[in-house]
Amino acid sequence: MLASLKRSSINWANRQEFFVFVLLLVVISYLSLATNTFLTANNLQNVARNFAYIAIPAFGESMVIIIGGIDLSVGAVMALAGLVSALGMRFGLPVPIAVLGGIASGCLVGWINGSLIGRIRFPPFIVTLGTMGIFRGIIYGLAGGWPVLDLPASFTYLGQNNLVIGAAAFPIPMIVMLLTAIILALLMNISALGRYIFALGGSEEVLTVTGIGLAQVKIVVYTLCGCLTAIGGILMTARLGVAAPTAATGYELDIIAATVIGGTSLFGGEGSVLGVLLGAAFMQILRNGLVLLGFPAYWQSATIGSMILLGLLLDYWRQRRARL
Amino acid sequence: MKSIRLITLSFLIALVACQGAPGQPTVLSRTPVSQRRKITIAWIPKALNNPVSEVGKAGAIQKAAELTAAGPVDVEVMYVGPVASDAAEQARVVDDVIARKVDAIAISCDDPTACIDPINRAVAAGIPVMTWDADSPESNRFTFLGLDNIQAGKAGAQLLVNAMGTKGKVAILTGVPGASNLEVRIQGFKEGLAAYPDIDIVATVVTNDDINLGVQAVEETMQAHPDLTGWYFAGMWPLFAERGSMPLWEDAALHHGMKTIAFDALPVELTLLHEGYLSALLDQKNWFWGYDTIQIAYDHVLNGKKFDSFTDLGYNIITKNNVDAMIQAWDTNNFSNPLPPP
Repeated sequence: MLASLKRSSINWANRQEFFVFVLLLVVISYLSLATNTFLTANNLQNVARNFAYIAIPAFGESMVIIIGGIDLSVGAVMALAGLVSALGMRFGLPVPIAVLGGIASGCLVGWINGSLIGRIRFPPFIVTLGTMGIFRGIIYGLAGGWPVLDLPASFTYLGQNNLVIGAAAFPIPMIVMLLTAIILALLMNISALGRYIFALGGSEEVLTVTGIGLAQVKIVVYTLCGCLTAIGGILMTARLGVAAPTAATGYELDIIAATVIGGTSLFGGEGSVLGVLLGAAFMQILRNGLVLLGFPAYWQSATIGSMILLGLLLDYWRQRRARL
Repeated sequence: MKSIRLITLSFLIALVACQGAPGQPTVLSRTPVSQRRKITIAWIPKALNNPVSEVGKAGAIQKAAELTAAGPVDVEVMYVGPVASDAAEQARVVDDVIARKVDAIAISCDDPTACIDPINRAVAAGIPVMTWDADSPESNRFTFLGLDNIQAGKAGAQLLVNAMGTKGKVAILTGVPGASNLEVRIQGFKEGLAAYPDIDIVATVVTNDDINLGVQAVEETMQAHPDLTGWYFAGMWPLFAERGSMPLWEDAALHHGMKTIAFDALPVELTLLHEGYLSALLDQKNWFWGYDTIQIAYDHVLNGKKFDSFTDLGYNIITKNNVDAMIQAWDTNNFSNPLPPP
């Protein structure tokens, strides 16, 4: 309660969201001038499509980080949810049922993470490192090395097509991302759960004193993270039309980076849905821009890594300045 | 409460224990009869999670069955390896098969340097080792069976020129930057194109062996170079994705005469070749990674046959002239019949 009140009173210009927004505008302006391909409808749709399935898991990850945790299993959960849905469809289940099954598999992993961390009080890093390995292994077992192909067109439609509203066409994953963002922003800012989440990140003792079950809040947050990650994984699978056992390997780092660039503090207690959205957009636009500019492929990883670090340093500098 | 904790804890320990035991050896093609002598060949791929490992395994089983039926000994294939590509785990797998006293080891190395020590330990224990697909040239292996990636790259360049002509803009797609086999494939391709000054290589993009990143990189390159006339895919990553996921590439291939040459010849690629998205494929003969390897190991162990340091496996060129034969080979999981000319 205290933490959230304090948070909202901070001057907007000192917020990381504002900072990332400015950074994003700079990059977008540069790319629009330096290339004649960035600011085309097709490219912007591709960018939006591709960062949607990083942003949605990142929403969940940021809630986990706000309560002082970490979830390393998100890459594996993306692949698991995609594979469970795909296998469901291959076994003839209707698309909505298969998709729900995929989401349920992600929620289940999240619930296991949350229970081990909340009830047994295992460290989040160790638990989610373990479940990452276990569920990646289960994926290999289920798929037997081969990607699952030939998914129904009504499923790939979710990932590949646009919803035309007036003169503009919006990729469906982007719409799912925006709806999720709105719901989560409301949840974080006006619901009791949102207040508990920020309070838990600020200090576990506050909640203990007020008699709220710490374990319950943790289980809810990790389960929610698993569900959101599953949605991201299913959208990615729908976009590619294939569920590969190696899919999303290493994506946990992209997802964590997007949340942190967006202003989620790794020390907990601070973060917002809008920030995560901007952080994920920033990372995808950066990657997209480097390819469009014809930047040497072998230097792209180093460049993206440096830009992420630069973003974090700016955040650090901003926070220090705000404190003085 | 306490019991719930205990149950959850033991569940976790059980899961971790399951996970910690990768690569339980699967012994294949056992002939149940006889007092005949048996030789066991450990066939170790880079990763069990890679589809081509399964293809090679099928070739190995086929050869073992043929040799068992025709010769004086029973030949057994032990299919074992790290679940995901992992040089340290692969070294442990080699130690395991040394302990099990196999008669020969055939391995595709996750890392050429990390492979040296385990291979030399096996050789010191009296077990001959050969490498296939991915070599460890400084180890004491008796031969390496693989393809000459420079030659294959040059062939790729020639196929692309045949398809698109001697003028145009070309892009290259690779996996993890620095992977030695891919770098050599690209080097061969560039050497092959050097004879055509009117062909420009305008982009080289990476996939990090990830289908999703591959799809993005191809589409972004198509966006940056709408007048692209050719693609060289040093691997087939984005081709696993369903049609509809790369609309710009698909449109250029079907309606604007853009040509693509890709490595490997998996069923999805054959379909794309059939439908006109791809012009030609360079098949690495994955099935023969098993089939030929078992023959070489057998000849070496049983007959003391010597092999050169490099045994050239060659490659197949697949075009629409011989794609049907290749599709049939996949349907029967038997690739031993020679393909018609491309």
